[in-house]
Amino acid sequence: MIRTLLRLTSARVALVLLAIIAVVAVLGPVLAPYDPLKGGAQTLAGPSAKHWLGTDYIGRDVLSRILAGAPLSIVSTLEVAGIALALGTIPGILSVYLGSVFEWLSLRVVDTFIALPFLVFAVAMTALLGNGITQAMIVVGMLLAPVFYRVSRAATMSVARSQYVEAAAIAGASTTWIVRSHVWSKVLPSIAVTLANTLGIGLVVISSLTFLGIGIQPPTPTWGGILASDLGYLAQKPYAPVFPTLLILAAVLACNLLADAIRDAAGETGRALTGAKTARSNRTRRLAASADPSRS
Amino acid sequence: MPSAQIPADRDAVLTLTDVRIHNDAADEELVHGVSLRLRRGGVVGIVGESGSGKSLTCKAVLGVLPEHVEVSGGSIELLGRDVGGLSRQEWTALRGTSISAVFQDPASYLNPSIRVGKQVQEVLRIKQGLSRAAAKQRAIELLEAVHLRDPEYVYEQYVHELSGGMLQRVLIAIAISLEPEVLIADEATTALDTTVQAGILDLLVELKDRIGLSLVVVSHDLAVVAQLCDEVLVMREGHVVEQGPTSAILHTPQHEYTRLLVAEHEQYGLNASATGPRPPVPTAASTAVPVPVLVPEPRSSTMPASTEPVLQVDGLGVHFGRGRGRKQALEGASLVIRPGETVGVIGESGAGKSTLARAVLGLAPVSAGSVQVAGRDITHLSGRERRAFGRDGVVQYVFQDPLRSLDPEHTVAVSVAEPLRIRGGLDRAAIDEAVRRQVRAVRLDESLLDRFPGELSGGQRQRVAIARALISSPRLLILDEPVSALDSANRVAILELLRELRSTVGVAMLFISHDLGSVAGISDRTIVLYRSRIVEAGDTAHIVNAPEHPYTRLLVGSAPTLTSGPTDRVQRERLRAGLFVS
Amino acid sequence: MSAPPSALTAPPAARRGVVAHRIGRAVASTARLLAIFVPVFLLGTFLTYLLGHLSGRSPAYLQLGDAASPQAVAAIEHKWGLDRPFLVQYGDWLGSVLHGDLGTSWYNGLSVAHALGQRAAITLSAAGVALVLGIVFGFLLGALAAHFHTRWPDRAITTFTTVISVLPPFIVGIGLAAVFAVGLQILPAAGYVPIQAGLGPWLSHLILPAIALSFDTAADVARQLRNGLVSAYRGNYVTGAIVRGLGPRRIFFVHVLRNGIAPALAVLGLKFPNLLGGAVIIEAIFGLSGYGVYASQAAVRGDVPAVQGVLVVSVVLVVVFNLLVNIVLNRVTPDADRGV
Repeated sequence: MIRTLLRLTSARVALVLLAIIAVVAVLGPVLAPYDPLKGGAQTLAGPSAKHWLGTDYIGRDVLSRILAGAPLSIVSTLEVAGIALALGTIPGILSVYLGSVFEWLSLRVVDTFIALPFLVFAVAMTALLGNGITQAMIVVGMLLAPVFYRVSRAATMSVARSQYVEAAAIAGASTTWIVRSHVWSKVLPSIAVTLANTLGIGLVVISSLTFLGIGIQPPTPTWGGILASDLGYLAQKPYAPVFPTLLILAAVLACNLLADAIRDAAGETGRALTGAKTARSNRTRRLAASADPSRS
Repeated sequence: MPSAQIPADRDAVLTLTDVRIHNDAADEELVHGVSLRLRRGGVVGIVGESGSGKSLTCKAVLGVLPEHVEVSGGSIELLGRDVGGLSRQEWTALRGTSISAVFQDPASYLNPSIRVGKQVQEVLRIKQGLSRAAAKQRAIELLEAVHLRDPEYVYEQYVHELSGGMLQRVLIAIAISLEPEVLIADEATTALDTTVQAGILDLLVELKDRIGLSLVVVSHDLAVVAQLCDEVLVMREGHVVEQGPTSAILHTPQHEYTRLLVAEHEQYGLNASATGPRPPVPTAASTAVPVPVLVPEPRSSTMPASTEPVLQVDGLGVHFGRGRGRKQALEGASLVIRPGETVGVIGESGAGKSTLARAVLGLAPVSAGSVQVAGRDITHLSGRERRAFGRDGVVQYVFQDPLRSLDPEHTVAVSVAEPLRIRGGLDRAAIDEAVRRQVRAVRLDESLLDRFPGELSGGQRQRVAIARALISSPRLLILDEPVSALDSANRVAILELLRELRSTVGVAMLFISHDLGSVAGISDRTIVLYRSRIVEAGDTAHIVNAPEHPYTRLLVGSAPTLTSGPTDRVQRERLRAGLFVS
Repeated sequence: MSAPPSALTAPPAARRGVVAHRIGRAVASTARLLAIFVPVFLLGTFLTYLLGHLSGRSPAYLQLGDAASPQAVAAIEHKWGLDRPFLVQYGDWLGSVLHGDLGTSWYNGLSVAHALGQRAAITLSAAGVALVLGIVFGFLLGALAAHFHTRWPDRAITTFTTVISVLPPFIVGIGLAAVFAVGLQILPAAGYVPIQAGLGPWLSHLILPAIALSFDTAADVARQLRNGLVSAYRGNYVTGAIVRGLGPRRIFFVHVLRNGIAPALAVLGLKFPNLLGGAVIIEAIFGLSGYGVYASQAAVRGDVPAVQGVLVVSVVLVVVFNLLVNIVLNRVTPDADRGV
């Protein structure tokens, strides 16, 4: 599947973008030309040879602040996605196998989480629990977990009800065998898609929180925090939010592209496995189906 | 007999002249020239597998070809009018009033969110301008005309509340509501139960006579078409391979494919003899007529009575749900299978056939009775015991659709080896050897071992599934509709293989099917399930020749055969009425 | 689930049960909805209370500062009833919540319900206008895309919805503020005017935040509606209707729309929490003092009852909205067997 994935242009673009962002996240503070916390005489300066992206309201170099803020924004996003993945996927798969009590309970918990107004809850809980980056990541990770739960549960259920799993069960296979040899490989692509999407969402949420000054206090540079300080000086420097915005959008877009590419690649691999012949007939069926006879 | 070559015919309501259908997107021709002439009050049949172009031809006639697909040659004349250049408005005016159609899978052809009665009424109001009340009254009359019991009740239902047979009747009611000249029935009875299918076909014939419809009947089943039609077209891969009067097609088939279709019925269908009123006698011995492609295995069903049964089921009851939603899926079922014996189970969908099989395997909750396999009571095994029993591989299962019962990501070798790997205790080489042996036994080429299910044909896939079932040397093989998802040629070949395996491997079989033909062709004894109960059981020959229970009689009388007359219709009607009371 | 009666066996007696059956079904579907939403409400409030409890915040520190003596803290906690077992506190709190009493703020001793009541107009106006915008533009775009399925307007709309669904509301908000309020200066950048002051001023203060909030909803509704309509058009019942000779307009409005609309309606239910949640950040950008700002200020101060109050009100709003959506869905597509 990975090979199929790498053949897709969108996947390549996404991966290149993500690679650049990763480099920025790792090397950002080293690359920063100035001290991101130290102000200068020139406030709210436009881009120049000295300050490529200009300076902010107390004269700090914007480029340096963006670069220095990268690790926090990126790494915490990764951790949020990781927490969501672990908290969602494992119960999601287990809910199919652990009996109806666990299933009912976990489903209700997930319903509840989905019903909670996400940002209000994240903001409130993070602040109440101590307003630190760790608290923020745990809360956001927890709130994003239902997506993984639902996706992995749905994927597991469709496989668990399949006849080849039933055939294995008739032959005396244990649940472990069934999950390992039949379920896992089919659930994986949907989880990968969700993970890529969640990375994008996680970055937006983390940026939103830092924008509100929740999780991390100024003057620590974060992308959200930079945007918040830009907002106060829109009248003087209306284009200031563009730079952090572009970075956030590029990262989110790359994640979404990657998610779509994984979905396509998984579909492609699925078709390859169900046979070239089927693929062709699938295509004709799709073509036939896409027709809207009322317009013919 | 009408034929395409005769020029003008004032009686013709529908004329196709060398119709070609082309897919512009893929730039390939899908139908390579179909000509037919349908006379007023006549019935023309088209037979072919899926993908043969028969449905596309119908869609072309109705002007509902998919996007990018169009008629690229020839002409279609409906009531003397070339439909080639019709505008959208003209088509809308024509459809329903001059030509209409019913299709396979009736449930999908009605709007699921609107009560069915409203949908009958809708056409009358829109096309005939009837008032709400008049349209409703007419709709109920129509529902009555297609013999729906209690039309007022049906009128108020949603699609998901009615059975397939009832929905097809509703669709027929809508189709005839504007009294069109031509009705196309495109696989209209496919996937319906045999008895329901016969009812729908009887209805079509009745309507044809009563309101003067002309019919185009399309089916993959030669018998269905043969029952109704004056003229038959046999299509394959977009070509009409044979065309002519029904009797000629049946008695002197010219093309190899037509011969295969006819042979399938002679081999595994209930082919009625010309003399006897009904029904025929297709015992294993009598159907062993040598046909080039088939080598049937005549076999005696006499078994030493003393042998311990492979399967003994006593008073088995299964129900699902509880309280008011409780549904009895099987009641008081008892049966015995001795070593090497094949027992057929037949019944309509929902009669409890699959429940019986699944209860034997512990996949359905048994609420009464017992199941013994090879002398061991396995009715109430714990999960652990059940798995251990499964690993012994005494009973194995073959599903209806091999595409779904094989893991798409596993190669043939991996799939076939799975039971042995689950059982454990064998090294790689031994497993490999066993897999090869088994694959050869089901007549598959060893070169296919590394293929994925998607790369195989339907018949090959079912062979893989059978190989997987047999690799653990089971004493009982449960086959749940093993040939229903296959086309004619593969169906014959798989039945052939099963017969062969029965004698070479000596495995006992529980063969479940809704198709009396395939059950009769392979089983020593047959069990008839009807509404969760076994209503009749006995030697297959006896069941087929002298059915006793009214349902069995209806079932035998409904099985499509190459020759059956209008007298059967009356008899079936009586049986249906009788069953309703009983 | 009982199998539909077969043509052979449908008993005429079944008719007697039709009315009872319909009522029974309505009761059953309502019961099913309640069985889903009551636990969600209980769990939601429980989680809310539990997390407040776990935060270890106490009114004592809020009022006395960190240097408070243990005796003073204990006295204040006793006064607020915080020395009782957790479940007792929760039960007590839930009881008063059900009576509409959300408790008293630790920060200023004012009624939380009263404070929220004052702010309700702001948040609900913003979320409401956003919801309307999301529905209107979502349905327009979705229907257009479906109508021009696979042709260029479809591709353009699909690209557009993909892009706007990626844009986070706070970025959209900043962008809109920069362009319309600061750049063009045609709309106010911040503040709120009650509707009593006139529809124009009210709307002019709300329109930018509402647009920023609505992007995500509009995009998702559009995508779901497009896909719903396209797949409804693929339904055999459309072919059936064509073959019966019904015209394209009737097919669209009677048959396609009704079946294709369900996913878009369902997504609306899911989007509502986002609208409320997004308000937090949008209110901060546009200087609206609604629930969101109240919640984040209260949270930073450690004013647990205020935070709990906001969350409970949000959960109730979401649950009620979802119930409505589900009731509508059950009416539109009576056949569907659905969960939340």
